[in-house]
Amino acid sequence: MDLENTKAQMRKGILEYCILSVLSRSSCYASDIIKELKEAKVIVVEGTLYPLLTRQKNAGLLSYRWEESQQGPPRKYYELTKEGRDYLADLDNSWNELVESVNLIRTR
Amino acid sequence: MSCIVVLFLYIFALSCYLYNIVVIFEIMKITLSINLGSWSFNIDEDAYSELKRYLKNLEIHFATEESSSEILSDIESRIAEIFRSKLTAYKQVITMEDVRFAISVLGTPEDLSNEETTSTREKFTSPGYHRMYRDPEHRIIGGVCAGMGAYWNAEPWLVRIIFFILAMMGGLGILIYLILYIVLPEAKTTAQKIEMKGEPVNIHNITEAVKNEFNSVRKNMNL
Repeated sequence: MDLENTKAQMRKGILEYCILSVLSRSSCYASDIIKELKEAKVIVVEGTLYPLLTRQKNAGLLSYRWEESQQGPPRKYYELTKEGRDYLADLDNSWNELVESVNLIRTR
Repeated sequence: MSCIVVLFLYIFALSCYLYNIVVIFEIMKITLSINLGSWSFNIDEDAYSELKRYLKNLEIHFATEESSSEILSDIESRIAEIFRSKLTAYKQVITMEDVRFAISVLGTPEDLSNEETTSTREKFTSPGYHRMYRDPEHRIIGGVCAGMGAYWNAEPWLVRIIFFILAMMGGLGILIYLILYIVLPEAKTTAQKIEMKGEPVNIHNITEAVKNEFNSVRKNMNL
């Protein structure tokens, strides 16, 4: 068994959930999301985020708009769609269930 | 006798001269102007080729993805942002160091496939970077012949014989050898050793190379 690999596997599953959670508070542009995820230590390299954002956008969970920026070219701001919010509510539930299940096993 | 001494002095002087040229080239680099995520950057030539290679590898990595061009343009914008943060009034050119930093932040295709959500993705291979190095492991003098042999996939002894014959004919072989010794970098890291043979550098190859090295050490020690 490879500890690093197991850890990476654990992170993988929750990354999508984390992205949606970050966006549920306010619309963000990619670097803001990255900053939060890095602070929370859920991503190691930033490149992982971009394909996920695009996939979620293609699935209709996110939408984006271009916003003018004072420091340079326009930036892509992502926000949750109605579908995305429902999806996130579902994930919130299953996350709580998961935490409960794991705690139940660990504290036995 | 004095003729040989003069010849050697001549070779020495010439190689010093060539060395100076090499050094000057390293100090005075050519820069290119590129457009990255709608920003314009001046970038060193070597840094440019490294960046281009990185983006090419990412393109291959995301090729199976539905909107790969969109992902790539997002990544390019992010690289542009990182580069912007590296520029100051006193530093106006993107260097190799900046490119390496950006790559370490965004992750190589290998890093990405380690963190990927889908494990069903097929193993990709990035195009190999084929370069000539000096091979310190199989060297007799400076590893030039061994490195050339590895580059062309030829027997190093064949290269050595050709050099020897050229050296006998008026010392040309010695001169070429000296120049190559100065110009060619030594293959120090495992990645460079793999590049020397022209194989793509990825996790699989590096593990393989390390394994080989370990086995040869074990053999030498009769374990």
